Amino acid sequence: MQSSRMRKPWLRLVENITPSSPSLHSSQRRRSLRSAQRTLLETPSSRRLSSQTKTTARQCSYGANAIGKWSHVQASRHLEEQTPRTLLKNILLTAPESSVVMPESVVKPEPAPQLVQPSRQESSRGSLELQLPELEPPITLAPGLLALGRRKQKLRLSVFQQGMDQELALSQEPRGNADASSLTSSLNLTFATPLQPQSVQRPGLARKPPSRRPVDVGAFLQDLQDTSLALAPLGDSHRTPVATLPTDTVLEDTQPFSHPLVGRSPSVHHSLPCPSHIGAADAERAVGHRTRSSGPKLQNNSLGKPAQPLVERAEEVNALDMGFPNINSSVSGEGGVKPLEDRVGEEAEERMEEGLSISEMKEATGVQRSAKAEEHEGHTEVQEAEGSQGAIEAMEPEGSSGDEDTSGGTATPELASNTPEFLQARRLHQFLEPTPPPSAADLCSEPLGPLSARLPPRARTIGPRPHKDPYKAGLSHYVKLFSFCAKMPMEKKTLEMVEKCMDKYFQHLCDDLEVFAAHAGRKTVKPEDLELLMRRQGLVTDQVSLYVLVERHLPLEYRQLLIPCAFSGNSVFPAR
Amino acid sequence: MEGETDEEQQRFSYQQRLKAAVHYTVGRLCEEVAADKEMQFSKQTIAAISEVTFRQCENFAKDLEMFARHAKRSTINTEDVKLLARRSNSLLKHITEKNEEIAQFNLERKAKKKKKLEDSREPPDAGVEESKN
Repeated sequence: MQSSRMRKPWLRLVENITPSSPSLHSSQRRRSLRSAQRTLLETPSSRRLSSQTKTTARQCSYGANAIGKWSHVQASRHLEEQTPRTLLKNILLTAPESSVVMPESVVKPEPAPQLVQPSRQESSRGSLELQLPELEPPITLAPGLLALGRRKQKLRLSVFQQGMDQELALSQEPRGNADASSLTSSLNLTFATPLQPQSVQRPGLARKPPSRRPVDVGAFLQDLQDTSLALAPLGDSHRTPVATLPTDTVLEDTQPFSHPLVGRSPSVHHSLPCPSHIGAADAERAVGHRTRSSGPKLQNNSLGKPAQPLVERAEEVNALDMGFPNINSSVSGEGGVKPLEDRVGEEAEERMEEGLSISEMKEATGVQRSAKAEEHEGHTEVQEAEGSQGAIEAMEPEGSSGDEDTSGGTATPELASNTPEFLQARRLHQFLEPTPPPSAADLCSEPLGPLSARLPPRARTIGPRPHKDPYKAGLSHYVKLFSFCAKMPMEKKTLEMVEKCMDKYFQHLCDDLEVFAAHAGRKTVKPEDLELLMRRQGLVTDQVSLYVLVERHLPLEYRQLLIPCAFSGNSVFPAR
Repeated sequence: MEGETDEEQQRFSYQQRLKAAVHYTVGRLCEEVAADKEMQFSKQTIAAISEVTFRQCENFAKDLEMFARHAKRSTINTEDVKLLARRSNSLLKHITEKNEEIAQFNLERKAKKKKKLEDSREPPDAGVEESKN
């Protein structure tokens, strides 16, 4: 209170006047007040004060000693009402009650029923979210004040106010009320909240609450397909691993892992027809775009029953897998090679690309193993997803190669439970190392460079099936990245060993997840299972929760999908 | 403050005693194995094994608690133990067999108890049961 008083020097006058002399005669007080008023007549804020002091003066005339206290209280109350705190309080009190559409439908604020009309009037002018904060001060003013406000009209300075007054004059409200609200319009100037120039006559200007209509998944997918077809001719370096696969028959049967957000996203759960002829580049670009652009609008693409056991995967895998299914859903409308490369966050971009190629691998593998058991298939796909995730995390930071080698070496002789934990810990540790931006930029630009250079020549090499085991085809891409990051020539045996280790690691991981889910009496893997796994790995501790890791390592889009956030309209996404 | 350090000291001494117990048991087991395989165990080996065992026990305890909580239970079950031992096949088999043995044993015990109870209850309860029926 004191601070607010200090800020408004003109208020101090009232302070000095009112409590100082209870013995003053009421007329004397009135005189002193009036003199104070004259000095304050210039500014609109002082105008406000003068009106208030006049109120106090008027009230002073009613009694003798009690006047002092009463006016003091009044003044102080008025003073209080002008503090940011009280104003905010007013906002909060009045905000939910305001409706801009119809003035009559507005719920009047608490104070006085007699001043319902001015409040309504003001609320009709107020914004949807922020009711005019000055509702209360004018309401508490005596009706005589309104008459005073009338006199003040000529002193009004801004055209805006005049416009407001004109609008108010159009209303059916009594003039007094209009003046009161016009007074408040002057008060509004002191606040940052923009006043909505709406009146009873113009309901169309009202700000409508944002209506989120459900995404038309069918149309969206159709657009994707069209754009993917358009972008199909574009080749890509990443096509190499996939290029050898016969895309049409293979990918059409593909039912990779289930969409991670099936149970959670508010969007329609839609099983996409897999457009088989998606180019690898398109998919990658698409994923990069989609992961950045799409929020809850994720689709369950090319899902089938095989995916059911793994309907709900844990956070990180899900987060990355979210990008993968989008490959099947083909390119988003925004797709294009260039925009992706212009994007900020090259690391994420690289990750997307890697993930995309991996997901393509998964598709291929999924199709070729469609004859196998559902769970197993899901496992492999998930494994590759995990592999992609792990590889991504490992690849991105600088100097990961050395660690990768050593970790790979240690992994081979012993496949005890310590090893996957160790690997994961090492990888995440690398991830946690702050990657200096320029080096990261160099790293990211370099792979993009050679990859894009390989784009044109690779575009035509859609040849026979891969001679390698498709089960591991997805990992080969990461092995290549691994060898690139090593910055040293690597033996083929090393790469094979790395691939083996990754394979085992992810197999192990998925077995664990399955077992954990079964342990909890469930048939679907849930995020709790993955949290338990990470806890066993030592990544999630009592100090570091899963959400902390998500925030640390995943881009914003994934984080939005994973961590429940409250949005406007009392909706929490993703729903817990 | 002093109370805390006292507690810490107590815990530490307790821990040391446990470690000593583990060390002793490991030593005994190693002796048996040595006698069986006609090979000697150095002291450092026994110390290393006991240290590793102790630390692994701590890990196991935490894991078991996590598993039990994951299954929304407050008691650690044999299922949790089996989940813990799933990594090594032989160990898992061993544990499963033991579990079955124990289960059988418990069943037999229950059957025996029931019989005893029935025998003891029959004379006085026969009339009651008939009246109930």
